[in-house]
Amino acid sequence: MTHEVHKVVRESGGLRVVIADSATSITEDNKNDIVVDASHCGANIADYVLKGGARGMIGNDAGIGLENAGIGSLAILDKKGIPAAAVASKSAEIGVGTSTYQEGVISVANETAKKMGVAVGMTAKEAADKMLQALAKK
Amino acid sequence: MAEEITIMKQAGGRKIVVADSAAGMDERSKGDVFVDGSHCGRNVGDMTLHSGVGAMIGNDAGMGKNDAGVVALKMCDEKGIPAAAVAAMSAKIGSGKSTYEQGKISVVNETAKKMGVTVGMSAKEAADKMLQALVKK
Repeated sequence: MTHEVHKVVRESGGLRVVIADSATSITEDNKNDIVVDASHCGANIADYVLKGGARGMIGNDAGIGLENAGIGSLAILDKKGIPAAAVASKSAEIGVGTSTYQEGVISVANETAKKMGVAVGMTAKEAADKMLQALAKK
Repeated sequence: MAEEITIMKQAGGRKIVVADSAAGMDERSKGDVFVDGSHCGRNVGDMTLHSGVGAMIGNDAGMGKNDAGVVALKMCDEKGIPAAAVAAMSAKIGSGKSTYEQGKISVVNETAKKMGVTVGMSAKEAADKMLQALVKK
């Protein structure tokens, strides 16, 4: 686990959008948060999201890679009803959370996120807003 | 909570350890060759330098924007730490075991090159080269 101070960029209905460099910094302090981070979205990242109880996640697709490993967590989170999406590795700098949020363009979204209006080609910022709006209504 | 690490090899008081995430780097692996399933971005460079591991092999994450996926290699080079990345199409990102067992080196920093690590080499072989060179130091 990595310690990080997350930047809060949006708040609505008791929920927040926060930025982190690494998904390994997700803790129970993020149980009301959509975490926008700069980690890949591999299968192990789902563990951090689920353990911390984060409500939504946006990460980096890491070029997708072998056996689509770079986005392996999206389907895992989908099964738990957690909206998750990835930005294209060519759109944002992996490892830099502010880049994901400010420059990222969505390349893959899970079904839960799609139902909230998240779509491929959307900016990460817009995708995070869609998740926030949908979750705040719940 | 400490991340799980697996010791793959030991020689001359140093080890090759494998972990899914670079977040597992800590005092347990001081001076060791750390092979992980993380990208090699800026924050991983920070983790490598702060943790005191002896060498690092991660995933190039498809290189990505501004080669952000391998920025850590240069950061390590500046501190004399050997580091290399495996191609995202050769190993599953997020899995340290896949990096170690399936990974093919795509990028190498200068320090690692001097230890005999080359592009196209298996991650296992690259880790061995690093271990041998570190033991001799």
